[in-house]
Amino acid sequence: MKQLDAPVVVIGAGPAGLAAAKALADGGVGVLVVERDEAPGGLPRFCRHPGFGWAYTRRFESGPAFARRMLAALDPARVAIETRTSVLSLEAGPTLHLLSAEHGNLHLRPRAVVLATGIRERPRSARLVPGRRPERGVLTTGQLQQMVARGVPVRGRRAIVVGTEHVSFSVLLTARHAGLKVVAMAGPEDRVMSHAAAGLLARAAGIPIHLSTTVEDIEGSVHVEAVTLRGPDGTHRIACDTVVFTGDFVPDCTLFRGDDVDPATGGPLVDQFGRTNLPGVFAAGNVLRAVETSGWAANEGARVGANAAAYLDAPAAWRENAARIAAGPGVAYVVPQFHAPANGMAALPVSLRADRDMRPARLHLDADGAEYWRGNLPSARRLRRVAVEADAFATLPAGRPAEFRFD
Amino acid sequence: MTDAYDIAVVGAGVVGCAIAREFSRYELRTILIEARSDLGDGASKGNSAILSTGADTPSGTLECRLVTRGHARYLAEAPALGLPFLATGSLTVVWNEEELVRLRAMHDEMHAAGFRTGELVGPDFIRAKAPHLAPGAVGAIWEPEEGIVDPFSTPYAYALDAVTNGVAYRASAPVASATRHGGGWILDTPQGAISADIVINCAGLWADRVEALAGYADFVGRPRRGQFLVYDKSARPLLDTIVKPVPSPTYRGILIAPTVFGNILVGPTAEEIDDPDDWRTTREGLATLEAAAHRLIPALARHEITATYCGVRPGTDRPEYRIIPRPDANWVTVGGIRSTGLSGALGIAEHVAGLVLPEMKRAARKARAVPVRVPSLCAADARPWQAMMPADRAMHEIVCHCEGVTLGEIRAAMASPLPPRSLKALKRRTRAMFGRCQGFHCAARVQAIFDGAAG
Repeated sequence: MKQLDAPVVVIGAGPAGLAAAKALADGGVGVLVVERDEAPGGLPRFCRHPGFGWAYTRRFESGPAFARRMLAALDPARVAIETRTSVLSLEAGPTLHLLSAEHGNLHLRPRAVVLATGIRERPRSARLVPGRRPERGVLTTGQLQQMVARGVPVRGRRAIVVGTEHVSFSVLLTARHAGLKVVAMAGPEDRVMSHAAAGLLARAAGIPIHLSTTVEDIEGSVHVEAVTLRGPDGTHRIACDTVVFTGDFVPDCTLFRGDDVDPATGGPLVDQFGRTNLPGVFAAGNVLRAVETSGWAANEGARVGANAAAYLDAPAAWRENAARIAAGPGVAYVVPQFHAPANGMAALPVSLRADRDMRPARLHLDADGAEYWRGNLPSARRLRRVAVEADAFATLPAGRPAEFRFD
Repeated sequence: MTDAYDIAVVGAGVVGCAIAREFSRYELRTILIEARSDLGDGASKGNSAILSTGADTPSGTLECRLVTRGHARYLAEAPALGLPFLATGSLTVVWNEEELVRLRAMHDEMHAAGFRTGELVGPDFIRAKAPHLAPGAVGAIWEPEEGIVDPFSTPYAYALDAVTNGVAYRASAPVASATRHGGGWILDTPQGAISADIVINCAGLWADRVEALAGYADFVGRPRRGQFLVYDKSARPLLDTIVKPVPSPTYRGILIAPTVFGNILVGPTAEEIDDPDDWRTTREGLATLEAAAHRLIPALARHEITATYCGVRPGTDRPEYRIIPRPDANWVTVGGIRSTGLSGALGIAEHVAGLVLPEMKRAARKARAVPVRVPSLCAADARPWQAMMPADRAMHEIVCHCEGVTLGEIRAAMASPLPPRSLKALKRRTRAMFGRCQGFHCAARVQAIFDGAAG
């Protein structure tokens, strides 16, 4: 394997991982990117519709085109990508145990690691949706997209899409490729979670959207035969052969466990430079929290990759004097969760999620009983990103626990 | 054309597979017939995956005797088959003084019945064995000999052993009619007719229907549905033993236990249903289990649920096994195996062989059996990919990332003499798609491999 002894290993060849690899290579650092799938590119690889990478490339491209662009930007002299390679463990050191189809078991000891393992959707079971478990036809978006991209027959005609997030509407496009007619959308919230326009377009296309509605039953033994929805008007049974559970993303963060993970995000605890609890291990992209766009994830990867390069030049004490930034009243979570003193690295944008809808919303950053920063927002929506200007942390004293709260 | 056999075993659940394996040791033409596309696809696919000692079955019953024997035989024979047993022990826990009285009575009955390994223990012992269990347990019976097994590989290993040792196997072959012919029977199936000198009906949830084909009506099937939750592997450190309540005569209550695959399992509910094919989880059932899980181990509330499933137990209108030999008719009924089929299978098989073999005068025991070993799916056991240099590189290519299942393992499962005929059976053979993402990442690829191999 080329560059087995690369100073930095990036785990995951999606938008964040590839951007991190590019930033490292641009900084003159050799990188090994390990990807467990058969090809690099991450989830955008399976999303044919346009809109990927905008925040990073300022281009309006399909997922595969964005993935190709990111790959083409890598200097092969500095970046090696090993596909069909799984990371079995990541321990202090950092030390990695890899399993590679090509090379078997490998134990690596790079100087730094960038964790960029992305997200997945919560499946039907984790959502406690009752009913039968037909062998075929109960899907997540990810599975449907992969089936279409890999040419695996979907063998369905009529689909129900569960969820009203952005990704739920992207399923309408994928469904068309799969020859599926979407007969209804349903979501537990009382409004369309994506842009209102998406809902209007879907309805204009004749797709009813059932809000405040849950899946009450799934019928069928081999194939899905029908789904029963429960909404404000009671239950109704819809004959269909496919049900796609969309959205409800969670970080795919299996290499970090226990105290190294923020229970609120499900991703690793990091400071504003992307440093995790484990010295030498950085994290970037949607593994930090679900879910941002591919362009946002790539931007995080670029910054954290550059930070990892800087860390190799000057491996200062890891996260010394970093203070916890807590999620206070009204705040579901904050990323990054730690604030460290300035050290010349590039800071990630601070973002948080409100735990309920607020209009207007006043956000405070408090420490030691005093307010260090305040922002007035026209509104905050539950679990929608609230971006906080980078200067929110500017005057915060290093090493002092602080808390974001809404009033 | 009718294929002729000495013995036809109807139903390839864990009990039928064990019985077929038992007969494979004799110079007999035996066939194992399964109605569904895959073995172990009825009651055997949805249970609590515990190997009981028999101590908590009603003493003095045939069930008690056969479960006890099944437990002993499993411990002796499973290792050679590659089947795991994790000796977790079990705690039958009570939470108040009233229950403690019942617990003491249960303990005394167990000892009187000859089960001497269970001991009464107090709160300190419970805390040491199950530190994350909610506080307030006042006492328990600690049964060190109970443990957990792989419910999917068990019937597969028995069937593979049977087939390797000469038993014929026919799937997707529901018996449509049973006709007396000479001293034996002709069974009609969509896969052709089968004649057998002796029929053993172990059709589980459908045993009463097969009985009716032969004109017997000694019991009525009363299927009982049990729903389960499976927690993410992140929860596994919370529990290392089985925790269960004091059973009633018909319901063993909601237990919580680790699985050999590295999860935590909670269940079952108990619901009388009319249709043995009613494999539905319900909102109420799942909510009941989640509440029980949080009540028993509060820390579980911080962990994701990986899977929900239900099992249907082959109960009858009688509270005991319905094993009925009919020597005059050459028909043996093995019904009403309730919820102890997994634990009792090898005991039941031995018992049934004991009923039948005296009728088969010419059936000599074979000098030796061809050994069979199935791949262990137990999280604690080594996987093929842990070898530094396996012969096959596909053994190093993980396809199902959550469960760490390689392309090589999936191919090996597809190449079995008893290949999986459905994606669900493949899942049970390999664990692919069984993990926390439930196929988000791998299902498309696994399906492509399956469809390609299944052709």
